[in-house]
Amino acid sequence: MTWLVWRQHRNQTYLAAAALAAFAVLVLITGRQMASQYHSALTSCAASHTCGNLANTLILGTPVLSLLVTLTVVVPCLLGVFWGGPLVAREFETGTSQFAWMQSITRSRWLAVKVGWALLAAAAWGGAVSALVTWWSSPVNALNHQNFQPGQFDIQGIVPVGYALFAVALGIAAGTLLRRTLPALAVTIGVFTFLRLVIGQDLRSHYLTAVTTPFSFLHAPPSPKGSYWLVSGGVVGPAGQVANSHAHGGPGVSFGGVPVPIDNMPSACRVLVFQSPLKFGSCLAAHGYRGFITYQPASRYWAFQGIETGIFVLLAAALIAVTAIAVTRRDA
Amino acid sequence: MASSNPAVIQTCGLSKRYRKVTALSEATLTVPQGRISALIGPNGAGKTTLLRLLAGLARPTGGEVAVLGGAPRQDPAFLAEIGFVAQEIPLYRRLSAEDHIGVGAHLNPRWDAASVRQRLKGLNIPLDQTVGTLSGGQRAQVALSLTLAKRPRLLLLDEPVAALDPLARRQFLAHLAEAVAGGGLTVVLSSHLLADLERVCDHLILLAASRVQLCGDIDTVLAEHQVLVGPRKDTTAIEKAHTLVQATHTARQSTLLIRVGGPVVDPAWEAADVGLEELVLGYMGQHAGPAFSHLTSVGEDQ
Repeated sequence: MTWLVWRQHRNQTYLAAAALAAFAVLVLITGRQMASQYHSALTSCAASHTCGNLANTLILGTPVLSLLVTLTVVVPCLLGVFWGGPLVAREFETGTSQFAWMQSITRSRWLAVKVGWALLAAAAWGGAVSALVTWWSSPVNALNHQNFQPGQFDIQGIVPVGYALFAVALGIAAGTLLRRTLPALAVTIGVFTFLRLVIGQDLRSHYLTAVTTPFSFLHAPPSPKGSYWLVSGGVVGPAGQVANSHAHGGPGVSFGGVPVPIDNMPSACRVLVFQSPLKFGSCLAAHGYRGFITYQPASRYWAFQGIETGIFVLLAAALIAVTAIAVTRRDA
Repeated sequence: MASSNPAVIQTCGLSKRYRKVTALSEATLTVPQGRISALIGPNGAGKTTLLRLLAGLARPTGGEVAVLGGAPRQDPAFLAEIGFVAQEIPLYRRLSAEDHIGVGAHLNPRWDAASVRQRLKGLNIPLDQTVGTLSGGQRAQVALSLTLAKRPRLLLLDEPVAALDPLARRQFLAHLAEAVAGGGLTVVLSSHLLADLERVCDHLILLAASRVQLCGDIDTVLAEHQVLVGPRKDTTAIEKAHTLVQATHTARQSTLLIRVGGPVVDPAWEAADVGLEELVLGYMGQHAGPAFSHLTSVGEDQ
């Protein structure tokens, strides 16, 4: 059966390998340049004792390259569309499932081998792209500490492997249930994008209870160590927490990254907003207002990677189970 | 013919319903070993459904089916004994015949690769060309050769000659007859055209309106029917003794196709043997199910 799977998909595999190789060459060359650029900047700033400010003065990589790396976020979806969707649907469309199922092989084995290789390939390609991006990003991560932020979190570490497995499983399941390739592709793109957005925006920040740190407006908000993820921030007044103005559409200002709803601030302070942030802060402090930040510490990065990967792997497993039931129970 | 042959196919009340449509209703039939059975019926009569049920590609919604002694199932040992070629002749279009031989070799315990190569070479069908580039007739030959390479005990072919031109049809059926002559193989092949199959078949399953109208060895079936020609008159007496399949009337004369229930005693009727085509058309003309008691006559002037 493996022989057949290889014979059916080898051209696709060669193509994907070529694309991966091209990407790898690009990433390896520019990644080395970036790493040496970062290290020489570190050496020279250490000599002049200006390393604290390095993140503001040093720009690593080029915008085009950063964009390209950011775009690898779509790789799992592409794998789902090109490998997952047609895997079974195409066989139904051309009737070759009937050819295969009338050889001396059970449908479950036919499916297991096909799905097994597809998932393995998904994990391999997803993992390879992610490994390259993670390696390429290491100087940027060390400099900007942004790898826990949405966007960067999604293209580094092990989560892309989870996404790729899920996307391919989703494509396979959609193709099996719909029996047609094109609708399966549409469903794959739609469901994958929807779930990624929902999980990334609404669920991820709750994997572990976020840490809340209060601060005085006399100073800048605290900056936790390393690549933390700032989930939210806000203002606590004498009467308790002040509603964030974006909740009801009012204007807000950013106090060192923490949103301050000016409509809900004492009027005496409001006029100071445009004069000086320092005076504005002192005024708020004098009126008994304090700020707070809610964040996920950098130490939880891998825990979050693990949890998110686990969620998508479980979803993938459920989809494969549905596929197996459909293939063995339904008529050909 | 030895009717004591073990039955390769035995069904009882076999039915298949899709959501609203009944594709096959209460089919009870037997195909003994070694027969080449023609599965005849108009389009939509349930031929494909019956073949798919026998192959285990579809599950019955009612009744019993035994193929080679057991229910069709997803089991390598069972599947190794069955050859099935679907109507669309599905093959991997981008693979060559040689690749398909490789596929079969990997997926079957018995595999006669040499026979496929020899047959296809004999038919001048290129082994190394992708099957998508072959003609419909060539693809059908490839599919049949691949199926025979499994050395199945039962071969199920769904409209195998529908896409072929007359010459290819003849070649295909000759190829099939040659394979059966090797012994041990039972074949069911469907068509809506009897003429295609008459030459090679010795058994008949006639489906119409998703029901089995006739099933048996062609010789036996023919012997059981007669055509009566006589002056136009009341047929009640005939219907009492025999089963009237079809009646055709002209102004003076009646032609009756009957399933014989005994000797025809009335000297007014002239009895004659019936031809296969006549018989099949007679049954196909009536979709009223097995009870033929209230037939309306064809060609009756009112």
